[in-house]
Amino acid sequence: MSHEKTEFAEFFQTSWEPCLRAVVASTGSVQLAEDQVAEAFARAWLSWRKVRRHPAPRAWVVRTALNAGASWWRRRIRELPLAGHDAAAPRDVDDGLDAALLTALRHLPDRQREVIALRVFLDLDIDTIAGHLGIAPGTVRVHLSRAVTALRHELSPSQAMEAG
Amino acid sequence: MNDNSELTDSAVLSAVRHSISGLPMPAAPRLEAITARGRAHRRRRLGGLSIAGAGACAALVAGLAGGGGSAGPAPRHHAAPVHLAAFSVVTGPDGATTLTLNWGQVINPNAVRQALADHGIPALVTAGEFCRTADQPPPGVGEVAVFAGPHFLPIGSPNSGRPAGTAVVIYGSKIPRGVELSIGYRQDPRNREISFSLIQAGAPLTCTSIPDSGPHGND
Repeated sequence: MSHEKTEFAEFFQTSWEPCLRAVVASTGSVQLAEDQVAEAFARAWLSWRKVRRHPAPRAWVVRTALNAGASWWRRRIRELPLAGHDAAAPRDVDDGLDAALLTALRHLPDRQREVIALRVFLDLDIDTIAGHLGIAPGTVRVHLSRAVTALRHELSPSQAMEAG
Repeated sequence: MNDNSELTDSAVLSAVRHSISGLPMPAAPRLEAITARGRAHRRRRLGGLSIAGAGACAALVAGLAGGGGSAGPAPRHHAAPVHLAAFSVVTGPDGATTLTLNWGQVINPNAVRQALADHGIPALVTAGEFCRTADQPPPGVGEVAVFAGPHFLPIGSPNSGRPAGTAVVIYGSKIPRGVELSIGYRQDPRNREISFSLIQAGAPLTCTSIPDSGPHGND
């Protein structure tokens, strides 16, 4: 195995799960997220020389996965007369996800959802997120704050107790 | 909606993390499946027709090597994903369609064929027999279908503790006009087999109880 492939293999093995969780939080579907993340890793391998030098390669994967999913969703929404109906969203049966919280996540604007994914599931700090997204750290804080405000009211009482 | 106004921002983020972190995630797919998918991207980008990487899966079914041919209709991305107990068909954002078969359930070939057709993939699906046409059209089936994907599990996998299943990624846009993907399988638990090939639509079929020579998936 070449050095490049060994390096990529290590990155892939250690990053698959956190990247998948980040994308699941956005898509609300494990199966859909799984395919999007697999696609993103395939593209990462294709551009590995560039991605390996990225300051946050996992963020690159998550963003690629979300972008791929976003374009797919845009096509669906345009072509299906079900736009706006949650019933159109693919959901995994008995997947154990909190429906209200995930619906709230999915309804966040793209940028807010992306900031949440990077902050919560990849543990990136504000400056790294800002650098990755090409926006000011203050703007990241604003996106995060607005997302948190929207999500705060969707937490169930038991979740709120655990969180509090 | 709940009154959680007392919660700090970090408590909210912690709750969001907690809501997902308890969820079991599927295992990572094989590295070879990912790199093969990357190579497929590169080939499409370059417009080449090189043979699919053998590393995608050792069990890739025998196909036909050959040249080009005009591509068939693009997969219909808007087709809704199909999730049934016996199989699922999902077309991803890159146009690749993943067919997942659950060998623990009785698989209805007509239902699989219809689901694939809805996703823009013309297919002949047969249970218990394997069909081909005399003229085997290009490109190689390795360009069109590879065993890969997150759910990949070798056929059978007895006592694995997981349901036996097979995931195959199908690139419907690479199927030329007038060509169909022939999928034959046998569900005998002592001798499961699956075989893929490309056939000329409408041409006389030769169907046998065993797949043609060449690599194919079996127990």
